[in-house]
Parts: sequence; C-alpha cells; structure tokens
Amino acid sequence: MVLGTIVIVRAGGESSAAAAGRSEAQMLTLLHEPLACVEVLGRSVLQHAVERFRAAGVGAISVLIEQAPWLPTQVGCFPPTVDVQIVSDVDLAVAAALKVYAENGIEHVFVVQPNAHIEADLIGMFQFHRETRQPATRAFDREGALDLWMVNAAAAQTVSAEFLLPSLAPPSPSFYPVKEYVRRLSHPRHLRRLVEDSLRGLCQMRPSGREIRPGVWIDQGAQIHKRARLVAPAYVGCNSRILEDTLITRFSNIERNCYIDYGTVIEDSSILANSHVGIWLDVCHSVVQGNRLFNLGRDTMLEISDPSVIRRNGHAARESKMLSSTLFAPWASAVDFSASGVTRVDKKEHSPAQSAG
Amino acid sequence: MRNSGPVVVMQLPQQLNHLAVGLFMNELQPLLEADRPRIVLDCSQIAHLDSAGVEMLLQCTEEVMKRDGDLKLADLSPYASVILELMRVDRLFEVFETAQQAVQSFHAVPAHSIPQSEAWYSPAYGALGDLEAAS
Repeated sequence: MVLGTIVIVRAGGESSAAAAGRSEAQMLTLLHEPLACVEVLGRSVLQHAVERFRAAGVGAISVLIEQAPWLPTQVGCFPPTVDVQIVSDVDLAVAAALKVYAENGIEHVFVVQPNAHIEADLIGMFQFHRETRQPATRAFDREGALDLWMVNAAAAQTVSAEFLLPSLAPPSPSFYPVKEYVRRLSHPRHLRRLVEDSLRGLCQMRPSGREIRPGVWIDQGAQIHKRARLVAPAYVGCNSRILEDTLITRFSNIERNCYIDYGTVIEDSSILANSHVGIWLDVCHSVVQGNRLFNLGRDTMLEISDPSVIRRNGHAARESKMLSSTLFAPWASAVDFSASGVTRVDKKEHSPAQSAG
Repeated sequence: MRNSGPVVVMQLPQQLNHLAVGLFMNELQPLLEADRPRIVLDCSQIAHLDSAGVEMLLQCTEEVMKRDGDLKLADLSPYASVILELMRVDRLFEVFETAQQAVQSFHAVPAHSIPQSEAWYSPAYGALGDLEAAS
C-alpha cells in the first residue's frame, strides 16, 4: 500500500484562512454543522470524498474530525477500513498521521478538507505531483485554490503540517489545475446548487436509493402518501414521511428522517435530515434544518420557535406509530402503487393543486 | 393525437375554455382510465386558457396520479405559461420545451441496475495503486 488519504473536518467547516475572511454575521447564518457534513441526496460531501478515494484504490484513509459540540452523524457510517478519529488539534493530528503513513511506507498522501465537492482526476493529480517533484501539490480551479493536496509523507515531516494552511504555505508549491466539476460549500445556497447539479446529472454525485421513475429518487424506508405529488426531479431520503396532498417539486430534496405534513408544498428547497415541516406551508427557495429556515431569495436565516411550523423531527418513530400504516405506500410498494394494496382512506377530497394554491 | 409508444401526446386546442374542455375531455377520458397513463399535453397552440382549462389540467393530474401514471406539459405557449405561473399551478407539472423531450423523459433509463450498496463512484480514472505499482 503506497498511497494514503487524510480527510480533515474542522469544527468551523472551512480552513482557518477562509474562516478568518468571514464576518460574524455570515458565520451565524450557517447551519448547525459544517456543510460538508450535511447530508444531501442521502450522503454528505464528506462521505462522497471518502468514497471517491476508496473507488480510486486508495487503501489507507484517515478521517480527522475536530472536536466540537456536534459530531457528524456519518461517523459510524464509514467502512471499517477507514480510520476515524476525533481530535482536539487538527494540525497536530495531520502531522501525526503523516508520520504514521511515512513510517508504514506510504509515500504519497492526499490531504483533503471537504469544504467543496471536488471531482478531480485523482490519477492525473498524482502523475502531475510526481512529475513536478515538489513536496506538495495543491489543486486549484478557475475560482482559486482548493483544499485538496497531494504531499510526500516523508517530506511533510520536515515542514510539519503547517504547509496545509494557505497562510503558511511553502513559497512555491506546485498547483494542479482541476478541470472537472467543483462545487464549493460555504453557504447554504451552495448545497442547493449541488443538489440541482446532481439531479440534472451535471456531476458524478448520484442520489442514494432508487430511481422509481425518471428523476424521482426514493431511499430506503421512505413513505409517500398516495395523494402526495412528486414532480421530477426530486429526492426523498431514508425513513422520511410525505403526507397527503403534499407537493415536492423543482429539484427539492427531503433528506433522512423528515416529516412533511399534510398539504405542504416544498419547492426548490432542501429539507435537511431530521426536520419536521408542519401542515399547509409553502416552502420555496429555502434550506430547512430543524427549526432553522434559510431563505435563499432573501439571504436570511430564521429560527422559528413555534414547533408546529418547523422543528427538529425527534419524534419520527412515535409519530410513525400513531399514524395508520394503511395511509402510506411503503417504499417497496412506491415503485408500484397499483400493487401495494394501499387503499384511499381520505374522507375529504383535496387535489394537490388545491393544496398548492 | 399521436402515439409515441406507451406515451400519449395530445395537442391542446387553441381555446381552452369551458366549451373546449368538454370536447377535449371526451377524447382524453379513455386514456386517463388506462393503467398507468402516461400523457404529454402539447400546449404550444394555447392562445386562451381560463379557469376551466386549468381545472381540467388539475383533474387530469389527479386522475393519472390515482392510476400511478403521470402527465407532463410540453412547449408551453407564452400565454399558457403566464397563466399557469400566475395561478401557481406550474410547479405541479414537469414542463418540457418540446413534446419529444417530454416523451423521452418517460423513457429515461432508471438507475435500478446500479447496486447502491456498493461504491457509487466507479474508478473512472483507474486505480491509483495500480499506477503506482506499474511505475
């Protein structure tokens, strides 16, 4: 094994230099956890980054997560071959990991901070790095430098991990141009763009679950009422429940364990994992996480205290039991409603259009 | 009316008012009652669309949904586009620039065959380890 990868997840979600450039107000508008750890279309950018390296044949992968009040929900989701560590000082941990790699004969190490979804040609970058004979190569695209490096593990020992910080970068690192798809993640709107691009097929990132009909993706355990309408492209994540007369439309994604209540319209919006959206709402151009709603049109974040409007969906299981299972077409049956045996139990006639209006 | 395999493409009349809706529905009704109806309504000719026309579109949607089918709109005329947007019902439909695109969207290959439990990135650029070993 001669190649390794270190994936860094900082508590702030971005490199120190980038974070220093942000105003406090901008930082407050960010969601609960780094955007790289937020699941979109079933998996986080962090998971995608790890999976890309695995698919490329990189055997040794370390994920270093800076200690923070939050912990990425995906910590337990990595394969056993991926070494996941919660660390207090990321820079020290990177240096230690590089040392371990060097001692184990791993010469070249990718270092990545997944504050962008990067679909770089990894083999091209590796070849470029070897040809330039520099201790470190950094990727960049048209918008500037990216937090994707390839370093010589042994050489990195002499300069410590500080070269990973832009302010302390060596005077002449080589720069590898990335021509493939890159989506930086520093604002909730970038999540929406990533979702759109994925659903349009503009990047390699694919929604998890199954495409039950063209453009409509449903993940395991999702339950969608027969009278709910999903207009492609759309995604409904694991164990989410979409109630009667709801409308999910225009590149909207409902992530894991969400609950979209009766008659609500979700248009051009992302409902992030574990969110409950109340009845008869019209959610447009927004990102919702728990009781926070970020409206992209107005660039405003609202924290809504009324739990009947939006809230964290901590009671999904209990609500699940309260509702009769006959109301829903389970995921397996969602592929073929006609065979699901789901009967209409609605007593009041409402078309989805009336709900939307 | 023209058939494109299992997808039916229908041209909506120029005047989609109360009178025209009745005539059009007579033609459309048998298709709506089919199993999994897949219908594309070509809206290019619409020069007048009133509430009866919009209600017909919603009714058709409801009917195809009941039967696990789908209804898509294609080539919306500017007039129809504005009316649907004004009434906020445009978001209920998948709208395509041409009827052909709408038909093709029904035929898009679903990704059923791709095993989702495995790596979802194919090693498109080859394995780095292989390159390293070869060198």
